[in-house]
Amino acid sequence: MAKSEYLTEYDKIIQTMQMYIDGSKQGKSEVMRPAFHPNASFFGYAGEHLAIGTQFLFDWIDRNGPAPHIEPRVVSVDILDSIAVVRLEVAGWSGNLAGSGVRMSDLFTLLKTPDGWKIIQKAFHWHVAERSLAA
Amino acid sequence: MPERNTPQKTLESWKQIAAYLDRSERTVRRWEANEGLPVHRREHEKQDTVFAYRHEIEAWSRSRTKCPGPSIIDEGASLPAAKAANAYLVEHDAITRTMHCYVAGARAGDSDLMRPAFHPSATISGYCQGVEYTGSVEHVFQWIDENGPAPNITPRFARIEIIETIAVVHLEVEHWSGKLAGANARASDVFALLNCDGEWKITHKLFHWH
Repeated sequence: MAKSEYLTEYDKIIQTMQMYIDGSKQGKSEVMRPAFHPNASFFGYAGEHLAIGTQFLFDWIDRNGPAPHIEPRVVSVDILDSIAVVRLEVAGWSGNLAGSGVRMSDLFTLLKTPDGWKIIQKAFHWHVAERSLAA
Repeated sequence: MPERNTPQKTLESWKQIAAYLDRSERTVRRWEANEGLPVHRREHEKQDTVFAYRHEIEAWSRSRTKCPGPSIIDEGASLPAAKAANAYLVEHDAITRTMHCYVAGARAGDSDLMRPAFHPSATISGYCQGVEYTGSVEHVFQWIDENGPAPNITPRFARIEIIETIAVVHLEVEHWSGKLAGANARASDVFALLNCDGEWKITHKLFHWH
């Protein structure tokens, strides 16, 4: 992939990721929904419980409410033509369910669709053992 | 590791593969089916014959956390110690074991070999001949069975990244063949994995055909 092409796609991918970040910050799943593919999946451990499905994520975001101080860091953006992987480190999570000052590592896989880049899967690792996402 | 001058680079039957690994034929067949032992097949009219590359067999042995024993490797080849103390290597090896199941199934054209590598809720996505393809991993299994053997596929691990309970693997696979793949095709695959009680399972396969 040529450099300029990479940068163009990179910017589009970051726009998609921004919807996820904005939705997380505001505690509004409707803000992040457009970033996700209709067939997207969601995987990770919420404490001992294995959480599966984007509905879990959207419900959690709405119930968690605003998390105004999250600090997202883009660790990597790898693009292979029509597919991509984004690693995001998000520190400073807060909210009704998250508690405060917790950290999440996310791996997003994305697919380039006619409607732009869409998240097809979010896998997460929650760096808090004692607090349950399913609370 | 120094290059060895072995006169014969391939093992030409189950018997030879079993002798090389110092195990029974039954055991090595099971290893191929369940643990991704890299065995290739030549298509013949009546029955396929099997063969294996010594270097692949050795690499596979090295990649296993619990080695069957030092006798399986030629003198002069040292086993890099995958000590339990190094947690990263243990997880890395566990992930490559899962991925070898996928590769074994792809090579044999037999989805049963790769099913154990996937989480029951796994999904796939990507484009196949310009058509977007998303859904259950059952699509992959169907495709693999219809495609049949692809004995010459060459998988390369371009990236393995582990974050505690989740991981991403980028696999570059060259020389795809078969009824659906055509000849000499190349695929870039990205797999998302989840650690399920110490065993890594693929939760998503994202593919790009070149």
